[in-house]
Amino acid sequence: MSRIVVITSGKGGVGKTTTSAAIATGLAQEGHKTAVVDFDVGLRNLDLIMGCERRVVYDFVNVINGDANLRQALIKDKRTENLYILPASQTRDKEALTQEGVEKVLEELSQEFEYIICDSPAGIERGALMAAYFADEAIVVTNPEVSSVRDSDRMLGILSSKTRRAEQGEDPLPAHLLITRYSADRVEKGEMLSVEDVQEILSIGMLGVIPESQAVLNASNAGMPVVLDTESDAGQAYRDAVARFLGEDRPHRFITTQKKGIFGRLFRG
Amino acid sequence: MSANPSPIQPIEFKGRMILVSILRLHPAEPVALQEALEARMHEAPDLMRDMPVVVDMDAMADTPAQDLLSALETVRQHGLKLIGLLYSQVSAPLADRTGLPLIVLGPRAGGEVPLRPAPKPPIESAPQETSEAAPVPPVQAVHTPSLVVNQPVRSGQQVYARGGDLIITGAVSAGAEVLADGHIHVYGPLRGKALAGVRGLDSARIFCRRLDAELVSIAGHYRIAEDILDTERGDNRLITLSGETIRILEI
Repeated sequence: MSRIVVITSGKGGVGKTTTSAAIATGLAQEGHKTAVVDFDVGLRNLDLIMGCERRVVYDFVNVINGDANLRQALIKDKRTENLYILPASQTRDKEALTQEGVEKVLEELSQEFEYIICDSPAGIERGALMAAYFADEAIVVTNPEVSSVRDSDRMLGILSSKTRRAEQGEDPLPAHLLITRYSADRVEKGEMLSVEDVQEILSIGMLGVIPESQAVLNASNAGMPVVLDTESDAGQAYRDAVARFLGEDRPHRFITTQKKGIFGRLFRG
Repeated sequence: MSANPSPIQPIEFKGRMILVSILRLHPAEPVALQEALEARMHEAPDLMRDMPVVVDMDAMADTPAQDLLSALETVRQHGLKLIGLLYSQVSAPLADRTGLPLIVLGPRAGGEVPLRPAPKPPIESAPQETSEAAPVPPVQAVHTPSLVVNQPVRSGQQVYARGGDLIITGAVSAGAEVLADGHIHVYGPLRGKALAGVRGLDSARIFCRRLDAELVSIAGHYRIAEDILDTERGDNRLITLSGETIRILEI
C-alpha cells in the first residue's frame, strides 16, 4: 500500500522543502522505498536541497506532457538507498499541473513506491491545491509565529474541503503538525509562540519540533538533507519526526531551553 | 461480528441541512443576463460549473412567462444546475412548465412566506396574474434543525446556519466566520468572527467557551476586537443585544 503525503504550509519560507527532503530521506533510511516530488513548478528548489540539481534531465511537467516517461525523469539519490526525486520544471508555471496529469503520475508512482512525498509550493493556488489534492496524509509545517500559524490554519481548512478524500466524502485526511525554526530561548523571552500556543490554535497532532539551527542552512548549502547530519539537533529532531510518523512513540526534544536541551541530548541521544 | 438484527432498508430519508446558493434574477435584457453569467463563469469556472442553484424570480414580476423560461434556459446553458425555484407569486405558475420544484424558505419574522405554496393557477393563465388563493396561515411551531459542526472552523472558512442555530463543538480560528439566523454556540475558543441573528433576530445570542473574537455581531449590531475590553474577554461568555448595545456577560 502506497501512501501519498503532502508537505504543506500556506506560508512560504517556513521549511517545506527542507522538511520534504528530510522526511523522504528519513523514510528511505528506514528501508521504505520513497519518491519525493517537487510541485513547485517555476521555482524548483528540491533538487538543490537534495544535491541532485546537476543530474536533472527531465522533470515533472515533461512526464505530465508525455515528453518523457517517469523512469527517465526520476533521479536516484546517490547517498540514500530507496530514494528517488522527481524534480519540478523551472521553465513552466503551475498551470502546467493538470489534475489528470498529476493523478496519472501519482498513480504510476504508487505502483512502485511505499511513500510519495509531495513538496507543496507556498500559497493556496493551483500548485498547492494539486500537491494536496490526492494526498492520503498531510504534514503541515509551521514556524512559531502568528502569521505562519494563521496560514497553516487556512491550509488545514483547505485540506479538509478541497482534497479528493473530502470531495468523495471520506474521512478528512490525517494532518500532522511540524514546527520548524523553534527557539526555546526566544519563546522564554516571549518573542515566539510556544509549542503549546501553536498546538492550541491548530489542534492537530504534533509530529515534531525542529529547533532553529545553523545546521539546516549548512545542509541546504551543501545540497544534503539535514537529517543526514546526525550530529546536529535539527537532524536528530527530523529523525524523531520520521520515527513518530512511522508510529513510534518518542518524547519531544529541543522544546525546552538550551540547558535542559543538552541534558536531554546526553541522556536520550 | 454478529448478524445484523434488522434487515437493511432499501431507502432512508435523512433530514440533513445543506447550503445551496440562491440565484436572484433581476429584470434585464437577455444579452445582459448572458454577459453577466459569462463574466461570473470566467471569474470562478470551477465554482460555477454544475453548481446547484435555486432561482429566485421574485423581482421579475413584470416579465412575461416566456421570457422567464428563456432566462432559466440561459442560466442552465451556462452550466448551473437548477434544482428548484424559490417560491413566489412569479415562480409558482412556472413550476409545472419547468418541471422544477418550488422551494419555500424557512419562516421569516412576520411569516410572510407560507409554509406550503398556494394552489397553483392553471398553466394557461398569465404569469402576471396574482394568485387568488387565500394565503395559508404560517405554521406556528416550526422546528428548524440546528447546524452542528464537529470540525474546527479554520481561517478562511465560513459556516452559515440558515434559518436556525449554529453549534460548533471545536474552535473557531482567527480569520474564520460563523453566522446563524439564530443563536451561535461555540464549545471551543472563539477567535474569529461570529454573527448571530443575521436576518435581524434581536434575541439571538452567542455563547462561547472562550471569547477572543475578532468581531461579534447580533442582528447587525457589532463590536470589533478593539472594542472588546480585556476584562470582557475570557472563559464562558454570553453575548447579547440589549437595545442597540452588544453586551458581553459571564455565564
